[in-house]
Amino acid sequence: MGPLIPNGLIPIEWNFVISILIGFAFGYILEASGFSSSRKLVGVFYGYDFAVLKVFFTAAAVAVIGLYYMDYLNWLDISQLYIQPTYLWAAIAGGFIMGTGFLAGGYCPGTSLAGVAIGKIDAIAFTVGLMIGIFAFSELYEVLEPLFTASNLGNPTLADSFGISPYMLILGFSLCAIIAFYVSDKVRAKVKKVIY
Amino acid sequence: MSTDYKFKKFLTRRYQLLASVLVLLAVGLVLLPKRIKNDGVSPELFVNNVLSDERFISSDDLADRMINKDPSMILVDVRSKNEFQKFTLPGAINVPLENFLNEETLPYLDQNIYDIVLFSNDNFFANEAWLIGNRLGFNNLYVLKGGLNDWFSTIFNPTVPPETANKEAFDLYDFRKAAALYFGIGVYEKESAPDVRNASPKPKKVTPAPKKKKAAPEGGC
Repeated sequence: MGPLIPNGLIPIEWNFVISILIGFAFGYILEASGFSSSRKLVGVFYGYDFAVLKVFFTAAAVAVIGLYYMDYLNWLDISQLYIQPTYLWAAIAGGFIMGTGFLAGGYCPGTSLAGVAIGKIDAIAFTVGLMIGIFAFSELYEVLEPLFTASNLGNPTLADSFGISPYMLILGFSLCAIIAFYVSDKVRAKVKKVIY
Repeated sequence: MSTDYKFKKFLTRRYQLLASVLVLLAVGLVLLPKRIKNDGVSPELFVNNVLSDERFISSDDLADRMINKDPSMILVDVRSKNEFQKFTLPGAINVPLENFLNEETLPYLDQNIYDIVLFSNDNFFANEAWLIGNRLGFNNLYVLKGGLNDWFSTIFNPTVPPETANKEAFDLYDFRKAAALYFGIGVYEKESAPDVRNASPKPKKVTPAPKKKKAAPEGGC
């Protein structure tokens, strides 16, 4: 049956409409869970707030379990889902830059826009910086292209790389998530409370 | 114990409960009996494809594309090597049915760039090859309708349409004759010379003088 758009159950013209609606919902949830505050977001690095870790880990675990149950029930063909290609060096460099920016600026791209929407000045500054970064990348693309396209590993998944069944991997991932939640709660109890 | 107290007690345990739900669902995925999934297209789509005539390309259309040197087409002869060496269509490659899923031939068949036209003496073997390919989800596979037999009877040896036939039939006949010539078979039929005695004088040809193109400005910034 699914995915709905590639299999023609929803006409492809709805693609953008649905994306916009999901975008609204995503932005709303980000704001509602307090992710428009840079202090809350970077709390995960300083150990006084692990909401980011918990929210994104939970989202990933719920999504992957749900997708595989849908696949099992034949509601969805998991092999038709798009898997982002892995460019090893670009991913390493991008992760480093993104991490630095996240830690220094206190936002990631999506949450900075949520911050802009409620008028946070630091978020506006961050977004301007983001745009400058995008502009610089576009202008320097020809210089950066060798790094950008180097060592394309195709579309491997964790299950492919480890050579184990995806179901076992999901179980391991869920256990990891729960251990991470437990440890993060312990850490938070030890770290001095930050009022923000 | 009041219900309020019970609810509060439940709330203090909500994270443990949610975590156990997560683990239970993940364990469920591991323990569920595995369902065998077939690769390739779904049965419904396969039946639809088999019943549809879209896969057939007529010998006229094929000849047209060959004459126009369509670069997006690969001809695949699925007959045996012997038959292939005796006669085949120009530019065809030979993939006997038993070698159809060889490692060497798969890259030709499982791709999204070229139209693959399969042919054999009749539809039959080409259709079998098409069935295998379509079942595995290969795109752009076509079958020459009627195979080489039809090719011979239409392109190389077209039947003259009856005199009462419409213009399209004669055009098609002319096309087929010309195609046969293109492929090196057939002869020019000399058309009888027109009667010049009673012919009206040819209208004077007026060729419009080509407009002078404005030269693009040169230089500048």
